Amino acid sequence: MSTPILKVDNLTVAAGDNRIIDGVSFEVGNSEIYGIYGESGAGKTTLGRALANWLPAGVEQTGGKVLFAGHDLRTTGANRVTIGRDIAYIGAKPQSALDPTVPVGPQIVEKLLMVQPGLTRTEAKQRVMDLLHEVRIASPEERFYDYPTKYSGGMMQRAMIVDALCADPAVLIADDIIRPLDVTVAAQIVSILKDLCLKRKMAVIFLASSLLALRLVAGKVGVMHEGRLIEEQPVETLLTAPKTEYTKTAISHVPRIWSSNEFPEDRGRADDKPLMEVREVSRTYKVRKRGTFGQFNHVKAVQGVSFDIMPRENFGIVGESGCGKSTLTRLLTWLEKPDSGDIRLGGTSLANFSGRELLDKRREFQLLLQDPYNSLPPRVTVGRMIEEGLRLRGTPKAEMREKVKEAMVSVGLPTSIYDDLPNALSTGERQRISIARALVLDPKLLILDETLSALDQGEQSKLIDLFAKLQETKDLTYVFISHDLAMVRKVCNRIGAMYFGKMVEIGDNKSIFFEPKHDYTKALLSAAPTLDEKPFDAGELGFEPIQ
Amino acid sequence: MIFVEFLIKRILQGLVIVAITSFVIFTLLRVIPGDPVRLIVGGMAPDNVVEEVAAKMGLRDPILVQYGRYMGNLVTGDMGQSYLRPKSGMIATGGEYVDPTKSDMAEVWDLILERVPLTLQLAATALVFALLVSLPIGIAGGLRSEGWPARIAFGIQSLFVSIPNFWLAIILILFLSVKWHLIPALGYKGFAYVILPAIVLAVEISPFIIRTLTTSLAEVMQSYFIDEAKVRGLPRRRIVFGHALRNASVPLINLLGIQLSTLIGGVLVVEYIFDYPGLGHLTVVSVVGRDFPVIQGIAITISAVFVFINILVDLVAYMIDPRVEL
Repeated sequence: MSTPILKVDNLTVAAGDNRIIDGVSFEVGNSEIYGIYGESGAGKTTLGRALANWLPAGVEQTGGKVLFAGHDLRTTGANRVTIGRDIAYIGAKPQSALDPTVPVGPQIVEKLLMVQPGLTRTEAKQRVMDLLHEVRIASPEERFYDYPTKYSGGMMQRAMIVDALCADPAVLIADDIIRPLDVTVAAQIVSILKDLCLKRKMAVIFLASSLLALRLVAGKVGVMHEGRLIEEQPVETLLTAPKTEYTKTAISHVPRIWSSNEFPEDRGRADDKPLMEVREVSRTYKVRKRGTFGQFNHVKAVQGVSFDIMPRENFGIVGESGCGKSTLTRLLTWLEKPDSGDIRLGGTSLANFSGRELLDKRREFQLLLQDPYNSLPPRVTVGRMIEEGLRLRGTPKAEMREKVKEAMVSVGLPTSIYDDLPNALSTGERQRISIARALVLDPKLLILDETLSALDQGEQSKLIDLFAKLQETKDLTYVFISHDLAMVRKVCNRIGAMYFGKMVEIGDNKSIFFEPKHDYTKALLSAAPTLDEKPFDAGELGFEPIQ
Repeated sequence: MIFVEFLIKRILQGLVIVAITSFVIFTLLRVIPGDPVRLIVGGMAPDNVVEEVAAKMGLRDPILVQYGRYMGNLVTGDMGQSYLRPKSGMIATGGEYVDPTKSDMAEVWDLILERVPLTLQLAATALVFALLVSLPIGIAGGLRSEGWPARIAFGIQSLFVSIPNFWLAIILILFLSVKWHLIPALGYKGFAYVILPAIVLAVEISPFIIRTLTTSLAEVMQSYFIDEAKVRGLPRRRIVFGHALRNASVPLINLLGIQLSTLIGGVLVVEYIFDYPGLGHLTVVSVVGRDFPVIQGIAITISAVFVFINILVDLVAYMIDPRVEL
């Protein structure tokens, strides 16, 4: 390695008395991709922001230096280093990174002109257009003038790569950029980013909460824990010979898909009748065609899907975003009615229930959502939130309080927070509130729409254990709707794979993961990031990710 | 196209709104106490003369018949004639008997057309004054929502909202016009006469503009794309004026559409106080004199203007933010 372009020397960052980054040092050279692994709360994001001289209000660099080509970012470098041109940053929220009221292309051009005032508008536009081509955005000439809301997550992240790279930065900070993306899309983004970095001899700091993602891109990886860099090794060495206990545990928590012979316990009984029967359900949305008068596109979100959910089983539904998973969730929870087909609960069609009966029946099937921040009202106390479903059904007050406390205990929440607001609670605790909120109603079926994907690995395993325990004590049945294949592999007895609104394959855990029949299932599995050897390589099956 | 579809839909809706407004006004005028005929023929006229004139004017027909007749004329562009105002411009009073069925009474349409420009001028000037005051205060308050600019914005809006418009009008007339002879106050002989009433109206509407702007701008400044714009390399000035204000202006524009009703309510009082010969003044005089055709004409005009401005507001909001549903 030649002289390092970015050198971090004993960096300390604090919010008041609370040290978030505690004496971190490392160096990155040109064409090098330096990975930093850390769970949520380890200080990754703060580190990333400190490297771009972009600390939020109230958080300050209290010691050490960040040197860009020898210039201290905060002192001498402040005039010589332009953030956005010399150092670029890409974050984990591509879809809220740009002004929603201005088309994507012009915003990137605007940025380029700001950091490189010498360019003409035409030159800038040409450069952005070329890069949009390079990151493989389909028909960039049209996409250039589309608004951010018209971009999918993966496309937007590619646009943000263009935004970061258009000014030819020497250093790129990528903070968990593939976390919100589907596996297939993430794999594409990573390979695009890697190519571009090498071509441009750029130094990249790749911060990630997934060791699997780091394995795809990084050369050297530093492990961050509680604000400190506790070890640093080339990624393969790190994975095979970690030096610290912390890293060892982290690696052991990485879920395996193929290198384990264990399958989730089958709690089914011989005389079981299906709990929920889904028969040939379809749902089509009318979407107004742009530039036409009263014409509509018909989007077939779910097409003729059938399956049974058996008591006490874990049924998994996998597929990329856009494949119809969310619509299917809305149908299963009867938030929307299918255009055709039927859903039966305990033998009776849901369509036959009147409003009053339906309210009562809804106790039996409850939905748990992905985002515990938006799904919990911020100004309602925890206890009141959990009891809402009971109150709605006219339960006496004393009994309600009793049941709420019981549910809180069973999901592992301290009853002392009964009268607290949810503000101070962590993601995991919030998700437990959602679970308790469903449990007070004594449901039979819980439908989990990406319920675990907001959590980091450690918290995720704890909740999986909790789900298993609840299943045993309360005879619960779960439907896991997820794009996290490793989680599904660990938990689900039977799995259905969806592609473009259709259920292309349904099978038990073993047959789906080890003997997939449909080509799409193979393609999906082969894109899954994992530490295992893959039993097959289906990379060339020609399935395009849904956009 | 979505625009054409939108326009057709909204114009049809607008016609329904105007029809409903006119019907309600039409009915209410005839149901509430106060007989225009009595005012026209004079307090001393015998009852049979009153009835005779009323029958001649068609005022004793069933209301639906009268309404049908009125709407029939309206679609041909005829709003009828004033009961009180002759073409000469003098106001007829009970003292001198003018036959309102004769054609020497002023056309309602002409009366309105004559005053609309004056009222529009007043409303526009008031809006400009209000924006001149509210934009800097609101923007400063929104950008520093924790600091003193926000407190100043709050103070000013509290002060303005608590000033009664008639009181302010009298104070302004007393000092600026009567005592110091700086600005003329009563009547209308040129643009200078617009200033005082416009100030009164501006004080009335600016608290709402300040409030909306501070809160929506403060909210936009919290969004992630504003934060990320810094690390993308955009200078702060550009972030604020190019992006934050753009996003914050959508609620503001919607507010202005609604503010129009406040403005019209304010115009009634303010024009009367300043003897400003606009639509508001005409309304007050006509209501006092039970001049049915004029009141109806004004109501229809105002509801049409209201519909038009709200269509415009929605279009502008859509052009700024494509996520707004048309």
